[in-house]
Amino acid sequence: MNKLTLLFTGIFLTFGSAWVGLVAYPVANLGQMQPLPNEETGGVNPPTVSGLAIAGQKVYAANGCMECHTQQVRPDPFSTDIAKQLGKRQTVPRDEIREHTPFLGEYRIGQDLSNYGARQTDAAAIHRHLYSPTSVTPWSNMPSYSYLYEYRKIVSQPSAHAIQGLTGSRAPKPGYEVVPTQQAEALVAYLLSLNQNYPLPESPEPTAK
Amino acid sequence: MSNDQSSQPDTLNSAERATIDSSVAAPVILFFGTAIFWLLFGSVFELISAIKLVWPCFLDGCALLTYGRTSVVSVNALAFGWATPAAIGIGLWLTARLCRVELARYKSLLAAGIIWNIGTFVGVAGIFVGDNTSISHLNFPGYATHILLLAFILIAVWAIVTFNHRKSGPLYVSQWFLVAGFFSFPWLYATASQLLVWNPIQASAQPAIAAWFAGGFFNLWLAPMGLAAAFYLIPKAVGRQINSNHLSLVAFWSLLLFGAWSGTSRLIGGPLPAWMVSVGVAASVMMIIPALAVALNLHFTLDGHYAAMSWSPALRFTITGVSMLVFTWVFTAINSLPAVSSVTNFSDITRALNLLGYYGFFSMTAFGAIYYIVPRLTGKEWPSSCLISWHFWLATTGVLLAVSVLILGGLIQGFALHDIGVTFRSSMDFIFPFRFVAALAALLIVCANLAFALVFAGLHWSLRRPGTAPALIAVREENSQEPVAV
Ligand code: HEC
Repeated sequence: MNKLTLLFTGIFLTFGSAWVGLVAYPVANLGQMQPLPNEETGGVNPPTVSGLAIAGQKVYAANGCMECHTQQVRPDPFSTDIAKQLGKRQTVPRDEIREHTPFLGEYRIGQDLSNYGARQTDAAAIHRHLYSPTSVTPWSNMPSYSYLYEYRKIVSQPSAHAIQGLTGSRAPKPGYEVVPTQQAEALVAYLLSLNQNYPLPESPEPTAK
Repeated sequence: MSNDQSSQPDTLNSAERATIDSSVAAPVILFFGTAIFWLLFGSVFELISAIKLVWPCFLDGCALLTYGRTSVVSVNALAFGWATPAAIGIGLWLTARLCRVELARYKSLLAAGIIWNIGTFVGVAGIFVGDNTSISHLNFPGYATHILLLAFILIAVWAIVTFNHRKSGPLYVSQWFLVAGFFSFPWLYATASQLLVWNPIQASAQPAIAAWFAGGFFNLWLAPMGLAAAFYLIPKAVGRQINSNHLSLVAFWSLLLFGAWSGTSRLIGGPLPAWMVSVGVAASVMMIIPALAVALNLHFTLDGHYAAMSWSPALRFTITGVSMLVFTWVFTAINSLPAVSSVTNFSDITRALNLLGYYGFFSMTAFGAIYYIVPRLTGKEWPSSCLISWHFWLATTGVLLAVSVLILGGLIQGFALHDIGVTFRSSMDFIFPFRFVAALAALLIVCANLAFALVFAGLHWSLRRPGTAPALIAVREENSQEPVAV
């Protein structure tokens, strides 16, 4: 008997079992999910999002936001996410179908963002925070994304897109303005689109205690 | 299979050993040398990221050096620049020695080493310019992954050829681990790259695969390669046989089976079918079995010979490394229990366990192996036993300090994140002092790696004349029975 063959077969079977369960199974069973029709609005759940928001996913990935932010609401008893109002219901695979890559994250150095668009609807406020987090939240350790903005001198007329109300050390000097780049606009559109407050049959809202 | 392995690493005479060693020298030194560069590079970025967490103004407002890039760069440079090439270097040398064949064509291996480093460089550059895929341990953009896989195929072909030409005889336990590692890595990496990076499948199916990869990368690639080194070096260095073949068998097969399934335990409550998480949790808990089997087996092998640790750097690093592997598996088992993970998930405990596994186990074991292998390849001795000693104590203190403060702080942070009455801000206030100490510990680790790089460079620039005595980090006891194996 060839011992190497025996060893090899054993490795193949153990490794292969997990491959079938954790790779082939999800590819076959979770890889072709469709949105469900929404009778009330005539649209679908999860709702389709704008192209700008989809472009924002790339900005989110490029800047490593998921190093500090999770995007998953876990049910009881595995967490207190729902009691902490991070979301009304558990995140399920169908919630991910609009994403290119699911940004589940491993650390909550910052808050969970699964439903950020449900608690924040003001784009200008998000711009101010991204441009200079500590000017909005002094105790924050979130990095400044000022490099996604253009700091420039106002020529003739101020831009209509310039961010208003900036304070703190990065605030523009008189005669200057801060204008979001295309990337910043896309990122904010993406953040505003983060909202799982639509019903899915596989993820019922837990009834209040 | 219980009687088809020997408990003796090899029975070569010293002349045969020397021929085999010198035939692999060039590629192995290439892998080690470049790996050490990436080790320094990665740990400096780890330090930068740790500082940013406590002092966000540090190097702030610059796209290349934003936290989301520095921390991803450090993880991937360490995984693919340092750990994987170090594992490959150890694997090449061990394969040649244990198969008892001289290496025929090492040019393809040199090419593989160069291509691999080009791939790593391209991948790191890709993250810096914003092409991060944002999948843990697979962050390199697709164009870099192709290069890395090409390099690995060259290595795998070589390994298969060498195994086929091996001198007949029983397979030693290190060889099982080598076969498992060399087999698993390309399968893991190719599957995950294809399904998540090159032609991503729908995101709803991705979390399970990403978790499978991250778990497999540690448990089926780095752990087997590190254990292959430990099961070879430890018996050799103390001149004894592996205590029990049965325990080796238990360790090997339980590691393969449970390690392959363990990855999903971290996604508890996450968006994937619940049974996958249950299997992952069960497998993570069962990792106690390989942990105990490895610990007992190596302990009984070493029993009465631990004194050799005090003068042999190879032994000291390897034993420390394997002990930390045992702790990694035990802590991960505890941490994956639902009652525990509901509190600790997403806290800095994850950072602590990663550090314990990747640095505490793998890097320490690889240091030990490199201290053992390189003098045998080059015929030169390490230049400074004092620096080696510094390396050991800085690395051990650094990793233990960081792991303990991050576990403690992570627990407090976890309870704060869990408790409905506590605000998010409080969780940040609580963890702050612990992160501060962890940043200091990251500095110690950078210094340790620097000491190691200096020792390695010193050996090659012949700071010490050939033919001098081995660098022992303590004086051997007069009447010691231990064979010299530095
Ligand atoms: C170093 C870790 C870190 C990184 C990287 C990071 N953040 Fe944050 N983030 C935080 C922290 C801490 C907070 C909480 C304090 C605050 O509001 O500033 C936060 C808060 C937020 C909030 C407000 C959340 C809420 O519920 O009020 C948003 C939105 C946000 N971050 C988006 C982002 C985006 C987008 C990125 C990537 C471009 C990013 N963050 C990267 C740490 C980080």
